[in-house]
Amino acid sequence: MSLLRRLTGRFPSVVIARRNVSRARTRSLLAAAAIMIGVVAIAGIGAGGAAFKQSQLDRIQEQGATNVYVSPGFDKEDRHFDRTDLMRIDETVGGAGIVATESRSMEYRRRSNRERGVSVTYLDDPRRLYDVAAGEIPKNWRRSAVVSREFAADNDLEPGDRIVLAPETDEDETGEFRAYRVTAVLAETQAFGVDQVYLPIEATGDRQYGQVRITTQSVEEAEAAATALREEFNGRKDTLIVFELTSLVRLFTSIVNGINLFLAGLGSLSLLVAGVSIANTMLMSVTKRREEIGVLRAVGYSKVDILRILLVEAALLGAIGAGIGIALALLVVLAANAIFLGSPFAFTSGSLLYLVGAVVFGIGTSLVAGAYPAWRAANERPVEALRG
Amino acid sequence: MTPDPDEDGFDAGTLGETIATDPIIRGTDVVKEYETGGQIVRALKGVDFSIAPADFVAVVGPSGSGKSTLLNLLGLLDVATSGEVRLRGEDVSTFTDREQTRKRKETIGFVFQSFYLIPTLTALENVEMPRMLDRTPTKTRERATQLLERVGLGDRLDHYPDELSGGQKQRVAIARSLINDPDILLADEPTGNLDRDTGDQILELFDELRSDENVAVVTVTHDDYVAEAADRVVTLIDGRIRDTESRRANFEEGPDP
Ligand SMILES: Nc1ncnc2c1ncn2[C@@H]1O[C@H](COP(=O)(O)OP(=O)(O)OP(=O)(O)O)[C@@H](O)[C@H]1O
Ligand SMILES: [Mg+2]
Repeated sequence: MSLLRRLTGRFPSVVIARRNVSRARTRSLLAAAAIMIGVVAIAGIGAGGAAFKQSQLDRIQEQGATNVYVSPGFDKEDRHFDRTDLMRIDETVGGAGIVATESRSMEYRRRSNRERGVSVTYLDDPRRLYDVAAGEIPKNWRRSAVVSREFAADNDLEPGDRIVLAPETDEDETGEFRAYRVTAVLAETQAFGVDQVYLPIEATGDRQYGQVRITTQSVEEAEAAATALREEFNGRKDTLIVFELTSLVRLFTSIVNGINLFLAGLGSLSLLVAGVSIANTMLMSVTKRREEIGVLRAVGYSKVDILRILLVEAALLGAIGAGIGIALALLVVLAANAIFLGSPFAFTSGSLLYLVGAVVFGIGTSLVAGAYPAWRAANERPVEALRG
Repeated sequence: MTPDPDEDGFDAGTLGETIATDPIIRGTDVVKEYETGGQIVRALKGVDFSIAPADFVAVVGPSGSGKSTLLNLLGLLDVATSGEVRLRGEDVSTFTDREQTRKRKETIGFVFQSFYLIPTLTALENVEMPRMLDRTPTKTRERATQLLERVGLGDRLDHYPDELSGGQKQRVAIARSLINDPDILLADEPTGNLDRDTGDQILELFDELRSDENVAVVTVTHDDYVAEAADRVVTLIDGRIRDTESRRANFEEGPDP
C-alpha cells in the first residue's frame, strides 16, 4: 500500500472534505477567493505597514534617538551659549556627555578660483560625535580642518590637502580667506545634522555655541535629560529649545500603529464578508448533500463525525484561500521590505505577526462561518434526510 | 421484569437451534406516530415483528401504509412512539444517539431505492465509506475489494458512480451495506429503479449473502417477483399487518411460542 494512501487513511475527514471541495469547484473557489482577499488585505496592509514603520523608526534611530539637541530659546538674549551656559547644562543632565557646536556658513574657494557656500561646524572634538575614516585628528586640535566624507569626495580631498575658507559676513560679503590643512576625513554616517566641514571651536574667536548635543545611552535617559533641562531652564522663560527624537518616535509609532490597525481592521471587514460567503457556500453544500449526509449517518457516522467532516471542509476552503492569499501577501511584503528596508527578506517581527495572524484569522473565520451549517447538517435526523 | 425467553437458554439441549432462530430484532405492539402541523399521523398502529438470522422478509403494501416507517424502526433510524423494539434483547429506546449510531453500524446494512452513492467517491471508496473513519485503511480496502468482486464488480473498482449503470450502482450499494458485516440488510425498494433482469441479479445476491454469511434480508418492495422470492411476505395496510405468508417451513412468524 502506498505511503500516500496510508497517510490519507489516517485523515479520512480530510480526504472526504477535499473531494467535496473539489466537487463544486467554482463555488469553492469563489468562497476561497473571498477569504484570500481578506488575508491579502490584512497581511499586506499589516505587514507592509510594519515594514514602513520599521524603516522610519530605523531612520529616526540612526539619527540619534538617544540624543537631545538643545539650542538657545526665544527668550535668550544673546542667542548663543557661552561657557557658563554649557556648565549649567552639563550639570543639569548629570552624567550624560555634552558636545557644544556652532554652525556657520562660509565661502569655500576651490582651486579654480570659483567660490561656493559651505556649512561649517565649530566644535571641540569631532571624535565625540563621529568616526574618523582617514587621517587623524591631533590631540590638541586647534588649526586644521576635518571634512565629511561626502565633502571630501565632491572636492577630491584627502588628509594633507589644503582648503581655503572665508567667513560670511552680514552684508553678503565675504571676509578674509584663510587656508586650513585637512587633517582627517570622517566616516560615512546616517546621522542627522552632519556638516561638511568641521573646525576647532577656537577658530570662531568668540567661543560661542549655537547648539548643544547631549548624548545618552538610552532613549529613556534622553527623555529624562530633556525633561530635566526643560524644568531647569524653561520655567517662566523659554531659555532653551529642547528637542529630543524620543517623543517624536513615540508619537510616530502610535500614529502609524493606529493607522495600520485601522487599515488592517478594514481588511478584517473583508474577512467578515468572506465568512458570510463561506457560510453561504457551506449551507448550499450541506443542503445539496442532505441525503448523502443522511446516508453517512445511517451507515454509522455519528453527529460528531459529520460535524468534524464539515468543519474540516470549511477549514479547507479557508486554508486554500489563506494559502493563496498569504502567497500574494508575501509578494506584497517582499516588495514593501525591499522598498522600505532595503532587502526583501528583512521581515520585521511585526510583519511576521501580521502574516501569521492573517492566516489564522482567515482559517478561523472559515471555521466559525462553517460552524452553523455543519451543526445544522449534523443534527438533521437521518430519517428526515432520507425521506426523499 | 419478565425473563426474556430468548436470552436465558433454559432449553440447553437445543442451544444450537435456539441461536439459529434467535431473533436479531423483535418488535411488540409497535406504534409510530408522526406529528405534522398539529396533526398526528399514525403510521404504524401496533405491529409485531421478529427477524431471525438468514431470514428473507418482503414487506409489501400500498403507498403510505407504513413500510418505510417500519424499516426505519428496524434500522434504528427512528424510535417507536410506543411498544417495544429489542435489538438482541436490548430495548432500543434506552439507547443514546451515540449508542444507536454504533449499534446501527454494527448490525445494520442499508440499501436504498436511489442507491445514495457518494458521487465524489469511486465504487471502491463508496464501499469503504462506512469504515473510512476507522483508520484501518488496509483491512478496509481488502474487504471492500473482496465485496465488490463478490457482487461482480471486480473490474469497476475505480469507477465513479456516474460511470456505472443502475444495477451496478445498486450492487455497489449492497457491497457498501456489507462492509461492516451486518446481521440484517434493510432494503427499501432496492429493485425499484432496476429492470427485471438486473433485479433478479440483486435477488441472487441476497440469496448468496443469506446462505454464505447468515445475513437476514428485509426488503420493502412493490415488485411481485421480489416478494415471490422471499421466505415471508408481510403485508402492511394502513399501519397494520394484514397478512403474513410463510413460504418455507423453517421460518416462523412472530415470537417463539
Ligand atoms: N416524517 C414524517 N412526518 C409526518 N408524516 C410521516 C413522516 N413519515 C411518514 N409519514 C406518514 O406516515 C405514513 C407512512 O409513511 P411511509 O413512508 O412509511 O409509507 P410507505 O409505506 O413507505 O409508502 P411508499 O410505498 O409510498 O414509500 C404516511 O401517511 C406518511 O405520510
Ligand atoms: Mg416508502
